[in-house]
Amino acid sequence: MKRIMIDREKCDGCLNCTIACISAHQEGSNFYTADLTGKTADSRNKIYFKEKEGYFPIFCRHCDEPECVMSCMSGALSKDSISGLVNYDADKCGSCLMCVMNCPYGVMKPDQTNTKMIKCDFCQDLTEGPSCVKACPKEAITVQEV
Amino acid sequence: MKILVIGASAAGISAIKSMREMDQDAQITMISKEKNIHSRCMLHHCLSGHRSQESIDFAGSNFCADQSVNWLKGVAVAGIDPQKKMVMLEDGQKLTFDKLLIATGAAYFIPPVPGLREAKNVFGFRDLADVKKIDALLKADSRVVIIGSGLVGMDVASALNERGIKNTVVEMMPNILPMQLDQPSARVYQTLFEKNGSDFLLSEKVVELKLDENKIGTSLMLESGKSLEADLVIVAAGVRPQTDFLEGSGIVCDRGIVVDDKMQTSQPDIYAAGDVTGLSGIWPNAMKQGRVAAQNILGQAVSYEDRYAIKNTINFYGCPTLSLGKISPDEDTKVCLQEDRNTYQKILIKNQMIEGLILQGNLDHVGFWQELIKNKVVVDEDTVFDIKYSDFYAVNEKNGSFEVAI
Repeated sequence: MKRIMIDREKCDGCLNCTIACISAHQEGSNFYTADLTGKTADSRNKIYFKEKEGYFPIFCRHCDEPECVMSCMSGALSKDSISGLVNYDADKCGSCLMCVMNCPYGVMKPDQTNTKMIKCDFCQDLTEGPSCVKACPKEAITVQEV
Repeated sequence: MKILVIGASAAGISAIKSMREMDQDAQITMISKEKNIHSRCMLHHCLSGHRSQESIDFAGSNFCADQSVNWLKGVAVAGIDPQKKMVMLEDGQKLTFDKLLIATGAAYFIPPVPGLREAKNVFGFRDLADVKKIDALLKADSRVVIIGSGLVGMDVASALNERGIKNTVVEMMPNILPMQLDQPSARVYQTLFEKNGSDFLLSEKVVELKLDENKIGTSLMLESGKSLEADLVIVAAGVRPQTDFLEGSGIVCDRGIVVDDKMQTSQPDIYAAGDVTGLSGIWPNAMKQGRVAAQNILGQAVSYEDRYAIKNTINFYGCPTLSLGKISPDEDTKVCLQEDRNTYQKILIKNQMIEGLILQGNLDHVGFWQELIKNKVVVDEDTVFDIKYSDFYAVNEKNGSFEVAI
């Protein structure tokens, strides 16, 4: 399967990945017009910063044994046996938030209405692949076969 | 290999999916009392009318075809003979097996309060059949009393509120959701429920349900002397593992079916997973137990290790809460509090380790907290609210997976 590989040392915290993710999930928006403060300004990735230690890029791993899928009582989360991606079907979601509780890396979060999940979809609808990867000027994140 | 799975909920379905990943040829038969696969945790969405019966099928509509499973539905198991490796069904069928998984879950419990068990208008809330029975009796002006304010009781209350049906919740403890919440965090939900139509009687105990000549319950008598008129009573006072059919089988039970860390029962080739084991009562653990049982059934030696089960999320009226571990402090527990207009956060620390926590209002990126409790990580009470996954960040260089560096 393909995974977004992370080279933490290369990350300089520019947050281009974060803006690209928000924009990719706001239909019709681009890097300049994306709404970064409103009710849909949710990024699927997160960059933490620690003094002296630098940046910590958090991107969904689409885990081999996904805890989020194990905790999903609606069937909304599933691991695709062919692509290996963990897909989320918002229509099925029961908004129980067990996936948020169970992701050991704290990747997942609810949307701002607490009714749906914010979950990396690997930008499967885009031919050029994940928007975050495309937006990274440092190649700190790259798509690789694992 | 002939594999029988009894039960069609989290543990059973998870086990079957796992088995099929590993073995395309095994002959798998699933037996269930239920005629529809459905998520128990979503029954309230059916009662409220938000969801159809089909849309709470968590396994997917083509489950049996996709997984090549023969499903015997609507039939209960009468007994098991481990020596003959045979399952006897209530309709007289006898099925033999090479490996058996018991995943019959738990059933609701009606407390031995005079009137409750005899009344025709008292229901539990555990499967679709319960929803249908309740729905058939509900009228716009019904007065419903819910006994117990745990997650199931509050699910029912939320569904009734959506339909505009008057409901009163009776709880023995001084606050609602007492297993998961403390007074301040429970008060937030109580207020939200009251705004949406529920009434509450806290620190109250039901002592009797008065019945009319047709065995219809009419009014509930409370310990305080109060009485409560009711057209329908829903009991949400806990569940018990469904093990009745194992009597005389030699399969050892102690409240639930006793299993080893391979999920094997006291009898060889017979496994159990999910609520029927009494190990836990939550979805993720049942799923994982099902998977571990499946792996062992197919000959992989895998142990059930991630046993932490005191965890839950609550989400009503747009207010989310995470509750982990022990939430009532002892004398020597340090209670760390942080709150603002929209959030309430409480972390209990004992011997420098987190014992439990309640995070209410904002659940962004909170998944790592249970790892700190499970792994007994030493924390500093002055900075505990600043902890993030980045403090335990580790990436596996080979495959890029995350790890929790503890």
